[in-house]
Amino acid sequence: MANQKLGLVFFPAFDWAISPAHPEREERLLYTRDQIVEEGLLDMPCIREYKPQIAQYKDLERVHIGVPDLSSLITNAHLVSAGGAIAAADAVMRREVDRTFALVRPPGHHAMRVVHGTRGFCTINIEAIMVEYLRKTYGIGKVAIVDTDVHHGDGTQDVFYHDPNTLFISFHQDGRTLYPGTGFTNEMGSPNALGTTLNIPLPPGTTDAGLHEVLDHLILPVLNDFKPDIIINSAGQDNHYSDPLANMAITAQGYARLADKLKADIAVLEGGYSIENALPYVNVGIILAMAGMDYSKVIEPDIATCPVQSSAVTRSITAIIKERQNMWATKEKLQQEAIAQAGQFWQRERSIYYDDAGIDERQKEVVRLCPNCSGYVTIETEAHGMFGYKSAYIATIPNYACPTCQKAAYDAAYKAKKQGKQQLYFVQNKMEDRLEIM
Amino acid sequence: MFLGLDVGGTFTDGVAVSAGKIISTVKTPTTHNNLLECILRAIDKVVLDTGNKNFERIALSTTIVTNALVEDKIDKVGLCIMPGPGMNIKDALPKAPYIVSGYIDHRGHEVARPKEEEVMAACRHFSSCDIFAISGKFAVRNSSYESMIADWIREKVKPSHISLGARVSGSLNFLRRTNSAYYNGAVWRHFNQFATAVEDALLSRGICGPVYVLKADGGTLPLAVAREFPVEAIFTGPAASVLGIMSMHPTRGPAVSLDIGGTTTDIALWQKGTPIFAEQGAKVAGYATSVRAFRLKSIGIGGDSFVRWEKNALKVGPVRYGPAMAVGGSKPTITDAMIAIGLIEFGDKQLAINAMKELALEGQTPYEVANMALDEAVTCIYQAVMSLLAEQEAEPVYRVEDIVQGRRINIEQILGVGGGAIGLIPLVAKKMGLSYHLPDHGMVANAIGAAVARPTLDLTLRADTVEGYYTVAELDIKSRLPKSRFTLEDASLLAEQHLAELAKVNGIFLGETELIQAEEFNVIRGFNTVGKIITCRLQVKPGVLLPSKEVF
Repeated sequence: MANQKLGLVFFPAFDWAISPAHPEREERLLYTRDQIVEEGLLDMPCIREYKPQIAQYKDLERVHIGVPDLSSLITNAHLVSAGGAIAAADAVMRREVDRTFALVRPPGHHAMRVVHGTRGFCTINIEAIMVEYLRKTYGIGKVAIVDTDVHHGDGTQDVFYHDPNTLFISFHQDGRTLYPGTGFTNEMGSPNALGTTLNIPLPPGTTDAGLHEVLDHLILPVLNDFKPDIIINSAGQDNHYSDPLANMAITAQGYARLADKLKADIAVLEGGYSIENALPYVNVGIILAMAGMDYSKVIEPDIATCPVQSSAVTRSITAIIKERQNMWATKEKLQQEAIAQAGQFWQRERSIYYDDAGIDERQKEVVRLCPNCSGYVTIETEAHGMFGYKSAYIATIPNYACPTCQKAAYDAAYKAKKQGKQQLYFVQNKMEDRLEIM
Repeated sequence: MFLGLDVGGTFTDGVAVSAGKIISTVKTPTTHNNLLECILRAIDKVVLDTGNKNFERIALSTTIVTNALVEDKIDKVGLCIMPGPGMNIKDALPKAPYIVSGYIDHRGHEVARPKEEEVMAACRHFSSCDIFAISGKFAVRNSSYESMIADWIREKVKPSHISLGARVSGSLNFLRRTNSAYYNGAVWRHFNQFATAVEDALLSRGICGPVYVLKADGGTLPLAVAREFPVEAIFTGPAASVLGIMSMHPTRGPAVSLDIGGTTTDIALWQKGTPIFAEQGAKVAGYATSVRAFRLKSIGIGGDSFVRWEKNALKVGPVRYGPAMAVGGSKPTITDAMIAIGLIEFGDKQLAINAMKELALEGQTPYEVANMALDEAVTCIYQAVMSLLAEQEAEPVYRVEDIVQGRRINIEQILGVGGGAIGLIPLVAKKMGLSYHLPDHGMVANAIGAAVARPTLDLTLRADTVEGYYTVAELDIKSRLPKSRFTLEDASLLAEQHLAELAKVNGIFLGETELIQAEEFNVIRGFNTVGKIITCRLQVKPGVLLPSKEVF
């Protein structure tokens, strides 16, 4: 235990809640804090505690476009939570520790690129902000994000859907049975990034056995194949058998072994709402595993109530592993087909519902399938909610965009502004690291 | 009349304080092989000076516990722990524990009862032990299992002493409580022999007055209580000096105090006229404990620090070879540099100048090299102050508000005590661009601190309104809540009552109390609030036994 292995950014935000009785409220990490402190984990020589920073708007705007602006949609808690993820990233990049766990609130993986309000308890995507910070500050290229929350990480998927350098893997309880109702196998990334979005919808009732099947035969081999520069774990903990918002059957041991095998460089807490019966044990298990310590003694008092996996569940897990392995093996072919089919531009239209804010958003997204870069993206968004009507036109220039795409993105924004159909016009220029209001 | 004694590494200091005035000071060499000898010599001198044998209080700051540990005069302790599920703690402890099943969960629920046959096996395993320590995870939320095991052991082997984790500290941190309970047991016999010797000696000289022992957090414990919790009497030297400064400190703004001795400089931070506590307990023999202490930093720079060239750079400390050459020492020191320049008058100035000449490079005057040495010492102290400030600022906080507001301490003043203060403090102050204050009697600040330190105590009350219970681990209390709508305010009133009770049991004056932790969380089932979890930690405010206007 000579080297400090794990950096822990622990920020329970004891003075922040979405609303008093909301699952995302003050005491969500209270019992976790009690357990961590009582164990004496913070005194272990291989664990070092870090304080979060306050994220800058510049950090947020590399990912998000807030309509009308981010500052009216978020609180200081969001800046601290994102700053917690950034502090975790810095600690690893400065090699002060081997890996870090940002155990912070509020969570972020349902927050998409365009933000009109809060959805799935998330307003800004703290992992995505951290990833773009890593790219801008440390020049990190290939990133893999493994989302282990029970809910599909639709926000993170959205942010990186057109980015071939970010592999987004999400396993989750099947979207037909759980919020947000996405994360199906046909969502694989837009043609230029086809295959770098890998969804693994699992049947309700999946246990440690099923999860580790998926991990061993699908997730770890795919990671090995993709060879990322860094692995991020979007560490939601609501697959636990006692979680009130979902129906899976993972234990603290299952999570700890997952963390042990995944060996993520940085883990960022997402959901997990069994605050009393699961979180203290799951979090301690993950911390021990990430610190390279013995986690075999972390066992929930009510472990006897954890269901066993049915044979039907086992069969469908085997089937999905096989189907996804095939997709991964043939993704180049699938990509060529998709590009050929789409032509010069790929586009989609979507409705996005903000459950926490009661907002309906309509989006039209267009990506240029550029042969030289990952292509610029334009988004037309309009939203209805309690506030009335909001609309915006956004052109996004990716990192490493070719000159043609850079110019075309501005041209598109000017053209839209001239037409005047929307209230606001933005160019998110990732190459020059700024968000411009036209 | 208050009598204060500080047994230091080199000298044992004594002071007598009456009506806010120092009426006697004594400095006598510490007799390391028999601490009682120097303590009594100091007391005898004060008695001779003042003609008084009746004291309101005799307070002692001593290295007895620290020495017991350093010299390995500690007892074998039968350490029984109930870790429940979680981290594997057994390799993190100073001694191999005997693990007993049974556990309490984070809400204080009794999940699995300990087994008597396992405890009996533990007694056999520790058959050569006469002292036991017992510690259970979350025992501060419900100490019944710790008490149960203690009863079984008492019945079976009748040990001389049993230390219980939850009694040693009421705060969360099983690891620290376990270490504290272990060390408390380990030094128990040695400390008790010492305490008995002190009492006997005072009695035989006809000296009257209740005896107190200083704690690392600057509080004092009646000797009878210290006999039960001797681990609290560790690291009291720096605490005594901090308290001495408190009694002499006229400002209430943020400050840093520097106690510059012969070998080390002890640094402490101050806000609103009181020293800042470390968030976590002190380390004992390298192991984290729950012993509360001030936030202190000690660096190896003092008046006797050896000055020499190392690879073309002038180095100062942490080595020390004895006193300054100006008073007959053999190697150049910081004190020589100060004397040579004329910052202080002490010993033989010519010898000090010779010491600097010895150091000077070709073409360098003794004055120049002395300045370089002092610069180096000042830089070391300055960097240590900055790093202590940075540590304080980096302490994690768990509320958005605290992050946004930040924790910067903008120091306004430097307070200097100790032998090296007069010469060095003005230089440090100049480097930091701050004003400074050098109180009179700074040389015996430690003994003054011991004389006037107010007794302190703290306790943690935790109420769980869903369960309908509250606990106070330090008093081994688990009781039903007195009313149905129990609020944080009710909790702090109840804590106040129990603190008064604890103070009475310990024979100390309650004085002013302060809430050092207050937390209130709703417990929600479905979407309804079904109750609250309330924690409040209350302490008798540390301070000095003097009217606020009276400073030395």
